[in-house]
Amino acid sequence: MAVSLLMVGGCGRSQGRTDQITVSGSTTILPIAEQAAELFTQKDPSSSILVSGLGSSAGIEAVSAGTAQVGTSSRDLKEEEKSLGLVDTPIAYDGIAVIVSPKNPVSGLTVEQLQNVFAGVITNWSELGGADRHIELVNRDEASGTREAFKKIVMGDIPFDPRAAVLPGTGQVRDVVARAPGAIGYISLGFVKPRFTNVTVKALKVDGVTPSEKTVGDQTYPIGRRLHFLTKGEPTGLAKAYIDFVLSDTIQKGVVVDAGFIPVAEGGAR
Amino acid sequence: MSENNEHHSAGSLQLVSRSTYVKENLLKAVFFMCAFVFVLAVALIFIFVGWKALPIVTEYGLGKFITGTVWSSSTGQFGILPLIIGSFIVTLGALALGTPLAVGTAVFLSDVASPKVRSFVRPAVELLAGVPSVVYGFFGIILLRAIVAKFSGTLGFGAFTAWIVLAIMIVPTIAVLSEDALRSIPEGIREASYAMGATQWQTIYKVVVPAAKIGIIDAIILGMGRAIGETMAVLMVVGNAPVFPAGIFAPLSTMTTQIVMDMPYAVGLHRTALFAMAAMLFIFSMFLVATVRLLSRLRN
Repeated sequence: MAVSLLMVGGCGRSQGRTDQITVSGSTTILPIAEQAAELFTQKDPSSSILVSGLGSSAGIEAVSAGTAQVGTSSRDLKEEEKSLGLVDTPIAYDGIAVIVSPKNPVSGLTVEQLQNVFAGVITNWSELGGADRHIELVNRDEASGTREAFKKIVMGDIPFDPRAAVLPGTGQVRDVVARAPGAIGYISLGFVKPRFTNVTVKALKVDGVTPSEKTVGDQTYPIGRRLHFLTKGEPTGLAKAYIDFVLSDTIQKGVVVDAGFIPVAEGGAR
Repeated sequence: MSENNEHHSAGSLQLVSRSTYVKENLLKAVFFMCAFVFVLAVALIFIFVGWKALPIVTEYGLGKFITGTVWSSSTGQFGILPLIIGSFIVTLGALALGTPLAVGTAVFLSDVASPKVRSFVRPAVELLAGVPSVVYGFFGIILLRAIVAKFSGTLGFGAFTAWIVLAIMIVPTIAVLSEDALRSIPEGIREASYAMGATQWQTIYKVVVPAAKIGIIDAIILGMGRAIGETMAVLMVVGNAPVFPAGIFAPLSTMTTQIVMDMPYAVGLHRTALFAMAAMLFIFSMFLVATVRLLSRLRN
């Protein structure tokens, strides 16, 4: 398990009062939390924000036990966790788009169909209302966070088809799928629109919903997740200042977007 | 100092000056050190890999490791048979494509081409041998894969694309070494053949090539060594699916590419399995080197 500890600001500073909080939890959120902490303590050197990534469940446990002031989680609270008295502040959205070649006539699939496609049960586009063409699966490598999220949301306990091509990057998946009429793959929503290339891909509707910042934000698009900051009761003091900073444009339009996520401001109400 | 010198000259007749004597011995020591450091490095790597791979034998079982057909780290299954098969499919196909081309090039350079033609073809072939493999891989994934994808209607990842990329990579190696073997056949043998009334073509395929046979096989084995160990270029075009491929246009994976794909996140037994795969590759290349040694002994 990846454990990353970062002491930001005045660690071991002897003079002056230091205000300190601990932020603990999801490794997905770690880059956002760390960079925000760094920028925050640059502005306010008297504060100290300790950020660690131990996994979402560990974060939820730490904040409810009081060992952390802010818990971070890349999944929603489970039923049994809802009685812990935690206040949830979504700080970003993460959506995964299922992409095909623009030449592919299929425009939408259900989550169940996607599951069957990526498990290798459905192998021809004609079974999905498309042309009589073999489905060419494009998967990501196991180190990929996108694969992890897609697996959790779409596949559940069903394993991926091992015959799928495994490519080590979002850019490669996009490029390969764009040019192959039978291909299907998935990438982070932020990469669907061409940024540095004029090669286009088509993002499929899932369960009838077109993936967009709005549909991921209001959670009508199924393959998406919210990234949460959790506090025991309403946030106060430094924890509140830190969370407000994460929700400010500086972090939302900078760090959050750079990390490939969708800012909450664009995604919908807090 | 002087006593020491007298001690040396007392025993035997000294024909060179003392400084030359010291220099000679110093150089001898330097060369010995060079060879020793290198051998030590190889030995240490082998010991380290073997030591890291050992838990596969003790905890997982060597039989299950080599004959297992499922490679899946998430379920803890580490069967490398599809990867071994993948390595051999890719390597043997590339050899089948590349060898005729390479031997043809070698024969052309040694027996057909005029010195003027040879003087620019040979450097060109040597240049190809020195191009970094990532360049071939880049060419493979951008240009070749797209072409293969178009005419096969697949993604273009698979054995076929890898064969072409690897064949281009090993042809220079095989061609240069085969040409050396062909040129080492004395001119007198060719002249004898012509004197018997043989044409140039008859001389080449009945006399020169058979005479250089072992040298050419040597070259092919070295080419095979390059192909089986090649990683970067192959990684970019095979598609990295650790299964028995459904065809020559279907994704597959080799031992080397799977190590690179899994390395960043492998822990525990998974990492051990990667080391064991590295040990397998070590053994394969030792086997190839041994074959080459055996053949050159035959030639002498």
